[in-house]
Amino acid sequence: MRRVVVTGVGAVSPHGIGVKAYWSGLASGTCALRALSGIIETDGFRCRIGGEVPEAVGGSSRRTRADRFALAAAEEALSDAGLGIGDREDVALVVVAVGGGMLEAEAWYWATARGRAARLVPAVRSVLPCAHADTLATRLRVRGPRHTVVTACSSGAVAMAEAAALIADGVVDVALAGGVDSITRICFMGFNALKLLDPAPCRPFDRDRRGMSIGEGAGFVVLENAAVARARGARTYAELAGYGMTTDAYHITAPEPEGDGMVRAIRAALRSARQAPAAVQYVNAHGTGTPQNDRVEARALERVFSEGGVLVSSTKSMIGHTMAAAGSLEAIATVLALNHGVVPPTANLETPDPDVHFDCVPRASRETALDCAISNSFGFGGQNVTLLFRRR
Amino acid sequence: MTASARVAITGVGIVNAGIVGDSAALGAFLAAPRPAPDLAEGAVARVPSSAIAALIDPGEARRLSRVCQLAIGAARLAVAESGVDAARGLGLVVGTEFGDLASTHLFADGFLERGPSGLSPLLFPNTVMNTMAATTAIAVGARELGLTLNAPTVAGELAVARAAAAVASGQAPAVLAGGVDEIDAVVERELPALGFAGDRIGEGATFVVLETPESAQARGARILGHVAAAAWRTLPARPWGVGRRRRSQAIRAVLERAGVGPAHLGAVYASASGDRRRDAWEAAVLSAALGPDVPPAAALARLLGRHAGLGVLRVAAAAWTARSGLLPAATESLTAMTRVWPRPGLVHGLARGGTHVALVVGA
Repeated sequence: MRRVVVTGVGAVSPHGIGVKAYWSGLASGTCALRALSGIIETDGFRCRIGGEVPEAVGGSSRRTRADRFALAAAEEALSDAGLGIGDREDVALVVVAVGGGMLEAEAWYWATARGRAARLVPAVRSVLPCAHADTLATRLRVRGPRHTVVTACSSGAVAMAEAAALIADGVVDVALAGGVDSITRICFMGFNALKLLDPAPCRPFDRDRRGMSIGEGAGFVVLENAAVARARGARTYAELAGYGMTTDAYHITAPEPEGDGMVRAIRAALRSARQAPAAVQYVNAHGTGTPQNDRVEARALERVFSEGGVLVSSTKSMIGHTMAAAGSLEAIATVLALNHGVVPPTANLETPDPDVHFDCVPRASRETALDCAISNSFGFGGQNVTLLFRRR
Repeated sequence: MTASARVAITGVGIVNAGIVGDSAALGAFLAAPRPAPDLAEGAVARVPSSAIAALIDPGEARRLSRVCQLAIGAARLAVAESGVDAARGLGLVVGTEFGDLASTHLFADGFLERGPSGLSPLLFPNTVMNTMAATTAIAVGARELGLTLNAPTVAGELAVARAAAAVASGQAPAVLAGGVDEIDAVVERELPALGFAGDRIGEGATFVVLETPESAQARGARILGHVAAAAWRTLPARPWGVGRRRRSQAIRAVLERAGVGPAHLGAVYASASGDRRRDAWEAAVLSAALGPDVPPAAALARLLGRHAGLGVLRVAAAAWTARSGLLPAATESLTAMTRVWPRPGLVHGLARGGTHVALVVGA
């Protein structure tokens, strides 16, 4: 089986445009969660904050907000990998999203319901998650195999796994993979309705955590056959050495209480990377900040790594849960942690939960040499994904 | 991804406007094809409520959206026919174009009518497109990889191709692959404005159980057909547009990997559905790939309406044709049957935007 390496990264996050802004925000432990600025109505809701991309992304205003995020992050990743227009004919494209162009489709639906005229076609055509892949393929001239996967909040990690499978199976040598979502009314209202949002910035793994914060952004990586990357002299960030994808088949929103599906995903990633649990030094946790998720994830980690066996942090504490972008942005955070030898912190973690038996790197990042790390992503429907990265 | 090792089909489950049942029901329909009742009169083919009620008990139905009921009904039929034991490892790949848009509209309408107090926490999870896969996984106990693939027109074919690759590469011992869509009132209303006035739209779900031939034989399962090779690629086109390029890497890849030349194909099951520009592009791609040897081509969307489930159904139908040498819906007359060589067939799908899937399917 061919080895797969990361040769380019791109990010649009609540810390700003670009990987530099993203990593700078994470490494400094800066929480970018604040009152939403007006892209959606928040009146009457208990929670009114989120992780909003703070600056204009640029690009045509005819494109959806999410399309513009995706284009900016994907272009950065391709440029970072040194892949020009002429190098993209056979590059695979795996793009994931939950909301798609829902923000703009909602505007049309809201306006129509309230008796106002609104343009239909762009709204409806952009609403499907697969619309981003079509936009990116056309705009960036990426013409290899293309598909869009939706596994709710673990989608971003699935994009990496799917792209790695295309390379490992010998279908392509290079793939562009990532996730994107903008904040939407449906998402904001839905998590409010489920009472899963903390009115204050989320506090994963804190004894007093009260829920998650939503966010938005895009994260893309260029994955490449290691031999091809080496031959063309590409810089390599890390090896995507293994992954695991499992399903709880338990409940539509709640994780299986003992974390069985999560454990199977983590162990599958270790198995495919031929790596022992003891080799893993850092876990970028799914860590949403909801009482239930963090408890079950900690239980799953304990079953695999034993108490205190790894450093664990949740970068959602700084940018919120960016939905389909989360797994991709967190994979990038994990790769950068390996490169910099710096574990990003869990911001806002004041009183560690006594039932979480790990060092969750509270408030300030930690310098430590890292060779192996995993990134966990879990989604509605019990969709569990673990990615395992090794420093090259 | 390209699946190169042969993968066995051991179960089929279908719930749509014309067929409810397993491979036997499919065979009966294909042997005496007739357009779904609605489709004969208009542009859509709906699944009757009675068909769903026969498969999902009322207590369970209360907790499930209609599109999830379609998926679960078809998935259970496929698993029952296959006899596969989910406890030994079953993956799930579901293709869909629209997901559960009906629930999304209901959820939004709650807010628009009554503000925050009108929001239903029970409806919200259905607004995420993987809701059909999530509920189906629970219903059949599928605990391995679970993917929902979103694509216009070819989501079903894509799901089978991805699932076949998962079985061939050992990602899961068996995979339940399906497609499901529901006719959404808003989409239906706006179709002409979107430029799809000629498109015949349907709804429903079809699932197939895929596993290695060795595993099927070892447990004594009846093999209904084989996916000999599957691949997906992209042809250049603007979003929602049709392209000009005709050279198909996907067809070339599957013919090569299946070891089948164009002259040895018995039939083609195409994705033509009445969308004139897309249909013409697909015909040009097939003609360029297969040359003078283009075998007779069936367009089942004329009978059952285009939906993600139909892409999966066409895979099961191609296996039936490879066995029987009979091909429905290949001529102007929808009820006429064409005799073809009982050989492997090509299942082909091409979407606006350029997503392009090909599978070689044999008996």
